[in-house]
Amino acid sequence: MVLVLAIGDLHIPHRAPDLPAKFKSMLVPGKIQHILCTGNLCIKEVHDYLKSLSPDLHITRGEYDEDVRYPENKTLMIGQFKLGLCHGHQIVPWGDLDSLAMLQRQLDVDILVTGHTHQFKAYKHEGGVVINPGSATGAYSSITYDVNPSFVLMDIDGLRVVVYVYELIDGEVKVDKIDFKKTATTQSAH
Amino acid sequence: MGKKGVPDWLNSSLWSSSSASAAPCPVDRFPRSPPAPKPEAPTRAPIPEPPPPSRPPPAPVEAPRPSSGTPPEDPSPSRLAQEEVSRQSQLLAEISKKVVNIGELRRLASQGIPDGAGIRSTIWKLLLGYLPNDHEFWVQELDRKRAQYKDFKEEFLVNPSEMARKLEESTGHKNGGMESGGCGFLMRSEITHDEHPLSLGKTSVWNQFFQDTETIEQIDRDVKRTHPDMHFFSGDTSLAKSNQEALRHILIIFAKLNPGIRYVQGMNEVLAPLFYVFRNDPDQNNAAYAEADAFFCFVELLSGFRDNFCQKLDNSVVGIRSTIAKLSELLKKHDGELWRHLEITTKVNPQFYAFRWITLLLTQEFNFADSLHIWDTLLSDPEGPQETLLRVCCAMLILVRRRLLAGDFTSNLKLLQNYPSTNISHLLYVANKLRGSSAG
Repeated sequence: MVLVLAIGDLHIPHRAPDLPAKFKSMLVPGKIQHILCTGNLCIKEVHDYLKSLSPDLHITRGEYDEDVRYPENKTLMIGQFKLGLCHGHQIVPWGDLDSLAMLQRQLDVDILVTGHTHQFKAYKHEGGVVINPGSATGAYSSITYDVNPSFVLMDIDGLRVVVYVYELIDGEVKVDKIDFKKTATTQSAH
Repeated sequence: MGKKGVPDWLNSSLWSSSSASAAPCPVDRFPRSPPAPKPEAPTRAPIPEPPPPSRPPPAPVEAPRPSSGTPPEDPSPSRLAQEEVSRQSQLLAEISKKVVNIGELRRLASQGIPDGAGIRSTIWKLLLGYLPNDHEFWVQELDRKRAQYKDFKEEFLVNPSEMARKLEESTGHKNGGMESGGCGFLMRSEITHDEHPLSLGKTSVWNQFFQDTETIEQIDRDVKRTHPDMHFFSGDTSLAKSNQEALRHILIIFAKLNPGIRYVQGMNEVLAPLFYVFRNDPDQNNAAYAEADAFFCFVELLSGFRDNFCQKLDNSVVGIRSTIAKLSELLKKHDGELWRHLEITTKVNPQFYAFRWITLLLTQEFNFADSLHIWDTLLSDPEGPQETLLRVCCAMLILVRRRLLAGDFTSNLKLLQNYPSTNISHLLYVANKLRGSSAG
């Protein structure tokens, strides 16, 4: 039972002052084992805050991040799943599912976590699953102003993943979940 | 009452702790010092080793020492082996009866249960009320309790992920499988009752899970530290690991069923002898279910002592402080001189030593085999474990009175916190003598 937080596109302080209070009250240390951050934090204070939630923090570089040392892509293995992380501004057209699928095949991962569009998406194709946690602060994106704050928490348990989607709609936190399984005999090499 | 002096029978030289030095490894041998009830100085012929052939081979207890509870009459030494054998057969006869007479069993067991006969497990279960008196109901009762424990395990030892999965499987929920090859947006489904991992709701399974994590970590730490000198509990063998797992399960389930008291450090020590005895039951079937049996007996045993573990009750009438005060009173009544010396002259506050004696039921003061013998008496005495425990503690103090009277704060405290090994049957005899409201 491994809890993995996928979060990103906070754009603090440029486009948003902070996470919504309701999100902050839920994100407490001690519960989450890994954090995958798509990028665009943008400043060190946010990095420190995320680090306090979980010691295992992975960040990829978004175009507005002040720390230039974050990598463009990252892959890691959690349980039986290979996860990939990329901000997404590099993938043109932005948010295009076929192009993201290309990146997923390139990285050879089961689950690809990207951001940049500030819209939550969970999409399945032959190569795997793409998850976009959206923007945790509801900051406006290059595409639209109408953004609901959202983030994603994945519960990886053996070959099964339960994805909990947290969205702030009209001031209330709404939680949905998505279930999927992986077959043991897929070609992704462990 | 109001008797200030030391009762005559205490003045005999036989109570001095030098008898302890004659029992350096209180295991196989009966000590050669003369702790006979009458103040004559008999030379005691050592009990023949190996034990008389009519006895079955010793059960896997670490120290197969012939237990010799000295009966109230004054036997000559050579009859002690016979006494013990006869007691063992009496005990066997008693538990084989269709309806066990608990009073009689208590009387016999309080003199000590022989290690070799492998009956300790059954007798403790009877004394703690786990097994009913009537033989007929044993199987039924055991099955019921063991099934109940199995349910507890399923309820409490499962983490929320697994719970959610089982719930879905039972409702026939269809998952989107990655292998189905289709493309498209994944279906979102509503969740009910706030059941997500970050939930802060009081009824949320996840929230409770995270709150329990701290308790479980504490239990883990303590279980690993239980009796590090015994192979049964500690080490890398699979036996030790499975025993530790069992202890862990029992303590976690207890903590979850008792949110008022949860887990307190020290409960593992109270549990350890119970589990050990049940696991070493010669009957394989019983030994296999030792975990379930130990759980219920642990609950039963602790029910009398739980107030000692509850911090909020420390200063109340039922808490540990008042229990220690009772011990103090008992000492004052039976041995005023020692009491005055300890508490007033040398200012050895009983809390410094008696706390561990009382809360851990003397498991830490003696070696494991001895504490099993003490527990025989504690569990079987009709006055109840708490009263008996206080008497035994008082007897412990009286037995070393000479050293205590001669010592100052430091040496007394050191002595009482590392109580010297002593002849257990002697100790229990003295404790027995302290019974009743009149001293001497």
